[in-house]
Amino acid sequence: MTGVRRRQLLAGAAAIGVGTGFARRARAAEEIKIGAVFPLSGNAAAIGQDAKHALETMADIINGDHDIPMLLGKGGGLSGLAGARVRLLFADSQNNPQIARSAAERFITEDRVVAVIGSYTSATAVTISQICNRYQVPYISADNSSPSLNKQGLDWFFRPSPTDIDFTKAMFDGFAAFGEKTGEKVRSIAIIHENSVFGSDSAKLQASLADAAGIKVLANISYQANIPSLAVEAERLRAADADVLMPSSYTSDAILLVRAMHDVGYTPRAIMAQDAGFIDPAFIAAVGPLAEGVMSRSAFAIDAVKERPAIPAVNRLFRASGANKDLNDLTARELTALQVLADALDRAKSTNNLALREALRATDIQGDQTIMPWAGVKFDATGQNMKGNPVILQQQKGEWRAVFPFEIATAPPIWHIAR
Amino acid sequence: MSATLIAQVAIGGLLMGLVYAVVAAGLTLIFGLMDVVNFAHGALLMVAMYATLLIHRATGLDPLVQLPLVALLLFGAGVVIYRGLIARTLSVRVNAGMVQIFVTFGLSIFLVGAAEFLFGSDFQSINASFLGGRSLAFGAIILPWPLVASGIVALLVFLGLFLLSRTEFGHALEATREDHEAVALIGIDRDRVFGIGWGIGTASVGIAGVMLANFYYIAPDVGTNFALIAYVTVALGGFGSIFGALIAGLIIGLVEALTALFIDPALKQIGIFLIYLAVLMIRPRGLFGHL
Repeated sequence: MTGVRRRQLLAGAAAIGVGTGFARRARAAEEIKIGAVFPLSGNAAAIGQDAKHALETMADIINGDHDIPMLLGKGGGLSGLAGARVRLLFADSQNNPQIARSAAERFITEDRVVAVIGSYTSATAVTISQICNRYQVPYISADNSSPSLNKQGLDWFFRPSPTDIDFTKAMFDGFAAFGEKTGEKVRSIAIIHENSVFGSDSAKLQASLADAAGIKVLANISYQANIPSLAVEAERLRAADADVLMPSSYTSDAILLVRAMHDVGYTPRAIMAQDAGFIDPAFIAAVGPLAEGVMSRSAFAIDAVKERPAIPAVNRLFRASGANKDLNDLTARELTALQVLADALDRAKSTNNLALREALRATDIQGDQTIMPWAGVKFDATGQNMKGNPVILQQQKGEWRAVFPFEIATAPPIWHIAR
Repeated sequence: MSATLIAQVAIGGLLMGLVYAVVAAGLTLIFGLMDVVNFAHGALLMVAMYATLLIHRATGLDPLVQLPLVALLLFGAGVVIYRGLIARTLSVRVNAGMVQIFVTFGLSIFLVGAAEFLFGSDFQSINASFLGGRSLAFGAIILPWPLVASGIVALLVFLGLFLLSRTEFGHALEATREDHEAVALIGIDRDRVFGIGWGIGTASVGIAGVMLANFYYIAPDVGTNFALIAYVTVALGGFGSIFGALIAGLIIGLVEALTALFIDPALKQIGIFLIYLAVLMIRPRGLFGHL
């Protein structure tokens, strides 16, 4: 009796041991922690809160049981990691590069995240990407567009979305195409930009591309973000009176600028914005009819549903996540960044950092497997997606319509720049 | 560069300067009265802007009509802040200055956080106001009505503050400021005078908030943009001097606009701070400071 008892006891103990061991392994595989650093408070809080909803929507698509026609849109969890689920941790950068860095460092050292996603402003992306590189953890740049970011010589930097070089080229390609189509060619531009990394890089590029295209730059105005007034800047733009105004501004300044121009009686013949504030729904809501005709480069076209059938379902989930608005260029890129990372984790079949980096480097996603109008996602040696072609959108009767390239355009451009 | 452009920019700068001045007036009044720097001043500006927005959405009342209402609301808020928080810090014996700074700083963080929680962090604005989108044209000079009206209202606030200083209550304020223990002997209630002083200070910033709501975006963080300039305005005009705040506000508005026009918009705050440093070196108490 006692022997049997002992044997039973031993077996029981072994079973418990195996059980707990198994459970621990299963739990480790169950949840893969990913750190997200965004400005959740401060002057860019609206963008950060939207980013949170976007990432949570994608996490829900990956983890939950949906039937969406795109990569990872079906079934629950990551099959390559035994059905593991992704878990997002969020940190507030307050849009401050130093705070962003320490948030990323905490994620890596304390929370042991497998990768970091961020971060809206390029200034915060610089510090986050560098700290990630030091700890050898991938940084997925979701919505930073400064071209200098992937030229820092970092081995752990990956950016699925296009850079301002691609975006700005698309603007000038658009100018040429619109000019050809309507006979109204762009002869001059005026540039206005906020003076941090994003605005300065963007302006430099625009000036050099204008130069190459033989377009005159009549004004190139730099201003400090979040100042109380942009009235004088508006005056200078009115005095320059260029064919196209090219602003690179965040939301608050975009609202101020458009209102200030209206106040001094200046209506630019065309506005071609470097995304950011001009694409924020809060901007459209704040300036109302003044936004009509505004163009912006974008990485996303919500109306391209024919080529990208997943858009309606993803947009519905995003709206229901608490965002209460449609996907836009930024939120679509944030969402796609997590999709790209999750795909790499799925293929790596491991959360080991070197394996994950190899998988990211081997990424090759077809455009129609995403919600983006891109040819696809495939990284070059610097971690930059080579297949992310941008589009030009225009506000027409309160809606964003894709107007360029003409192949995927859903509406003809409104273009009246002749004097 | 044409003369009309320079005139337009200069007038616009002076009008914006009046807005800075009226934001600074409340700050300098409270400081002059009881040596407390109110770090929640920017947050109170934000509260006034949201109050205007919410009342507008609920009732359709134009911001201009709301002026007395929001001013009264903010007056009440000022009295409550004094009674609930500041009065308690006055009895602190050690490091009272620090305690006051932390109390108002904490209040600021609380108010901004509460706004983020209640209204979200989206930028909002009042799109259909009586003044919104209208301009006043003098030949080639075009001035937006919301800004012109803000300037006029600001001047009225300063006139009101000046007249107030001539009344019996004004004398009581002045006396309490000089020596709040002595005035107790002649039957002046210190807490009552300080409380009303806080009320008037926050009501001024409330009026600035209503006028800004006519043309500025509204967000939890919006006060920060004005608070920094308000502190510089107060220091430049002289701590505690209402008249100093008016002159300093005008100087800052003008210098800011002309720097942006003649030198570089990116440097306009540098112009302000250069003047500020120069004044501090030559006259550390500010232009009209007593000390």
